[in-house]
Amino acid sequence: MNLKLSLKKSLDGFSIDVNLSVHEELLVLFGPSGAGKSLILKMVSGIIMPDEGVVEIGNERVYDSENHIDLPVRNRRIGFLFQDYALFPHMTVYGNIAYGINHLKGPMIKEKVDELIAVMRLSGLEKRYPHELSGGQRQRCALARTLAIEPRVLLLDEPFSALDFQVREKLRADLLRIHTLYPITTILVTHDLEEAFMLGKKIAVINNGRIEQAGPREEVFYRPGTRSVAKFIGTRNIFDGTIVGLDGPLVTMLNKDIGLVKAFVTEGGELQTGQDVSFCIRPEEVIIIRPDRPLDYRVHDNIIEGEITSIIGKGSTQIMFLKTGSGDTFLKIEVPNFVVRKLSLGKGRHIRVSLKKESLWVIP
Amino acid sequence: MNLFPLYLTVKVSFVATVFTASAGLVLAWVLAKKEFFGKTVLDVLIMQPLVIPPTVLGYYLLSTFGTGSPIGRFFENVFGMQIVFTWKGAVLASIVSSLPLFVKPAKAAIEGVGNDLENAARLLGKTELYIFRTITLPIAWRGIMAGVVMAFARATGEFGATLMVAGNIPGRTQTLPIAIYDAVQSGDTYTANVLVGIITLFSFLVLYIAERFTKGRF
Repeated sequence: MNLKLSLKKSLDGFSIDVNLSVHEELLVLFGPSGAGKSLILKMVSGIIMPDEGVVEIGNERVYDSENHIDLPVRNRRIGFLFQDYALFPHMTVYGNIAYGINHLKGPMIKEKVDELIAVMRLSGLEKRYPHELSGGQRQRCALARTLAIEPRVLLLDEPFSALDFQVREKLRADLLRIHTLYPITTILVTHDLEEAFMLGKKIAVINNGRIEQAGPREEVFYRPGTRSVAKFIGTRNIFDGTIVGLDGPLVTMLNKDIGLVKAFVTEGGELQTGQDVSFCIRPEEVIIIRPDRPLDYRVHDNIIEGEITSIIGKGSTQIMFLKTGSGDTFLKIEVPNFVVRKLSLGKGRHIRVSLKKESLWVIP
Repeated sequence: MNLFPLYLTVKVSFVATVFTASAGLVLAWVLAKKEFFGKTVLDVLIMQPLVIPPTVLGYYLLSTFGTGSPIGRFFENVFGMQIVFTWKGAVLASIVSSLPLFVKPAKAAIEGVGNDLENAARLLGKTELYIFRTITLPIAWRGIMAGVVMAFARATGEFGATLMVAGNIPGRTQTLPIAIYDAVQSGDTYTANVLVGIITLFSFLVLYIAERFTKGRF
């Protein structure tokens, strides 16, 4: 079932204006806290009324401000997983899951609930109350309750934020498994980068009530369309530049502090000489040049010298900050531990790095 | 000793509490969950009996439901029922003065039922009435029961407004608090002491039960 939405709402000092369409897949709506993610889900479900817009599920308009259509929440058949799960505290696991289908005949209820209990790995917990469950069990119980009514669309509001860090990874995998079993059109809201990357084949980045970029995961992560998207998806090295040369896919940019930088672009059509752009590189793509070896032709361009100002361990890799240019530009570099040991990198060392032309991404 | 005042007080309080709880539940729900124009005014009006003198309250009721008023005439013509200076007047006085004591805890209890829970039920396809019955009420019932107990206690102790609306007719509208006043006035210390003892013990028990209830020890 396709979901199409176009929503506008103004609140004091904040406005939302989004267009999205989701086709029988899992879309991750990713953005910082306060970007309006949860509000969008609440407007789609009908809990909160938009100022104007359209919500379409399949071929049915459940909301249309122009034609005064506003289907009551109870008739929308939308599954919604609340951030804190909103399990009914006075009902057991069984009672919670059966609640939405208790108008059916007894044996049918039991069959359905039993199936969901098995799928959600809740067997043996049927008679427990929500306060007697772990965070993960609560989440699965709430998901089972939602799936029981066979929703046309599933909306998941920060489903992992109430859980311990340790169990999140397992439950994310669980969610993907459940989504394969019940392939319902789903929007998952998160502010967690890792989660967005892990769960979403399609990602929409939202900021300040606007969708900044939407598309396949690889595209959004490696080819951010705007500077703020680049920032949200964890690209830390974002610099300003002015285009001074264009030669097919090869762009030459001038940054006041670090000088000329060359990059390959895939779609160079929109760029012009003299245009101000941003360019970025992911910290793990920066290459350290070994002083004891001749320069490889592949790392010939964009060589930058600088001093390591800090180095922080991050599990299997280390994060270094390199002070370059006249001292105002800091480059974040992520290198595996063994490289740090081998080259005896440390605070105060002067090194040379290369920003490979292929690794640089230019944002118009 | 004449125990009619005790009987009448229990009867009046019981009937009044039934009305208070039914109307109060609707009011508490509306005040807790709905946004509408004039909400604060309604809230303030319901709470009035807590602060205005009972005699003033009684005066209002007397002039609203008295035989000379349109409402009073309506009741008399349509139902053949006279309210003022009958035990029904005592019920009316008790309803109005005990309403805020019911609405306050009931409203707080209903507010305490998270909107997410009710929204979750809506999303599962349920109607408002069904949600109230299966989600809101069962979760808020301790607070609501505490309100019932408080309202009942307030009704048994009602004096000023009752005196104004129902009068002090021995054997017909003389409730326990009024009988105590009467006994003291006529120097019948024995009757006064017994009735005071009954009402003191009762009030203590009521508050004790209400307290245990809200804390979930029953």
